[in-house]
Amino acid sequence: MSATRRAAVVGVYTTEQGKRLGRTKVSLELEAIKGALADAGLAHTDVDGLSPLLAEPWSKTHMYWAEQLGERPITYIGTGQGEGAVAKAAAAISAGTCNVALAWVAHAGGGNSPGSKAVPTAAPRMPDFHWEIQGAYMTPLYALWAQRYMHEFGVSSEDLAQVAVIHRDHAVLNPDSVMGRKGPVTVEDVLSSRMVADPLHLLDCSIENDGGYALVLAAEDIAKDCRNTPVWVLGGAEATATDVYQTFNNPWFPEEGKSVRRCTDMAFDIAGVSRSEIDVANLYDCFTITMLRNLEEMGFCKIGEGPDYVREGHTRLGGSMPCNTDGGLLSNSHNGNPSGMSVIEVVRQLRGECGERQVPGARIGLALGQGGSVHGLASTVVLAHD
Amino acid sequence: MTAPYLKPLPQVSEENRPFWEGLSEREFRGPRCRSCGQFGWVPYPACRNCFSTDIEWVPLSGRGVIYSYSVVHRGPAAFAGDTPYVVVMVELAEQPQPMIVLGQLDDCPLDQVRIGLPVSVTFHDIPGEDVTLYRFAPSTPVGSNGGD
Repeated sequence: MSATRRAAVVGVYTTEQGKRLGRTKVSLELEAIKGALADAGLAHTDVDGLSPLLAEPWSKTHMYWAEQLGERPITYIGTGQGEGAVAKAAAAISAGTCNVALAWVAHAGGGNSPGSKAVPTAAPRMPDFHWEIQGAYMTPLYALWAQRYMHEFGVSSEDLAQVAVIHRDHAVLNPDSVMGRKGPVTVEDVLSSRMVADPLHLLDCSIENDGGYALVLAAEDIAKDCRNTPVWVLGGAEATATDVYQTFNNPWFPEEGKSVRRCTDMAFDIAGVSRSEIDVANLYDCFTITMLRNLEEMGFCKIGEGPDYVREGHTRLGGSMPCNTDGGLLSNSHNGNPSGMSVIEVVRQLRGECGERQVPGARIGLALGQGGSVHGLASTVVLAHD
Repeated sequence: MTAPYLKPLPQVSEENRPFWEGLSEREFRGPRCRSCGQFGWVPYPACRNCFSTDIEWVPLSGRGVIYSYSVVHRGPAAFAGDTPYVVVMVELAEQPQPMIVLGQLDDCPLDQVRIGLPVSVTFHDIPGEDVTLYRFAPSTPVGSNGGD
């Protein structure tokens, strides 16, 4: 077998994350890209791979940034979620089609929450059978998923709420988190917060804020000369499946799992790592229900046993696999397309930079991104330092 | 004169026209594959089972049971005045391939909404627009003190 050139995350950067920063998207993008390159000790002229996360329209976005970087000949053009972007950029580096790849996103001005859009002056026309025609949006779609899950597996609102409690406790230890400064919350606080879409209360939902972040990946030979410890990409994959985009194939919770299961199994296979070896994880927690389902789909417990797994303390700092140590999307930051934030926290944990929330001796980490309501689009990456 | 309807409406296209025309004729239609016999929801231009494009639109019963629901207390701007309203996923009666249809539920006290409740399609012409929408309602009247 020929030796494959390894790829590592060599630079990460997070801008200020906050409710409304009063900044433009591009200023956040530039700060994040410059910051991540500086963190790596690389220059913009080293970049030959670009992955603007979930960019639209993708071709124009790539050309804009290739030009902004000095009309660089970009030889890797990526798209996707944070974890998928990291997995694919690493694969491109290993295949030799690029040497230094950037993945980034920024979000400014809100727009995700239901109250953020004005009432139109005429009925807007939506494609085909769009959920918005029915008065649904992200929260009701996840609420439908939660309601059915709770019905099938006898899960309670308290079971969901404990996720928000743990992630807030972690955010309190993260000085850069949006919600940490508000202090811890209890299960009762979650249950008494106002109902958004039954059974999801306000504190079952992720926050929504402005902010940006970027990651730099580099080939092994370059990574070894970078400023920080390389965090190697051991394996990653992405998968898509139908979900409640508008409908789904029944059953909604099949034993064999859906896209989260598929990309996670693939990532572990490629990485040659077993689940018990994961020291720290950051899993997409757009709602409390999502975290429970992720733990099940990823194979850390059986379907329907996510609440027990969390209750046993595995995901808490000090537990067998601390999760979302930055506070996650529920209490750290959710800036439009936040999937790559999970990778950044894992990189920081593996570098040992996390202060009060540091997982001692963390060597192998896991990140999951997803979206496309509810479990339609997913990507997993396994990372480690030497 | 009634206030204009400001909520999102479907773009009617060549592919989906039989469905929306069906609603205006008080018929809830679904696509069935002539090749393998499977129903499909939501309608796609080719069969999601055998990939045949030989699809026919057939009248469906419009009856089913609630598969899941959410009482929405915070709605998008144009729906804000409707809260609380009930979004449901209804498993239609037609088998073997279950069709799960997203919609809104009317005429049901909030404390009586439950998974398994039998419901039927209702038809709603939109004033001033060339579109009829579907919604759901309990198949038999449901009182606020139980009994269905």
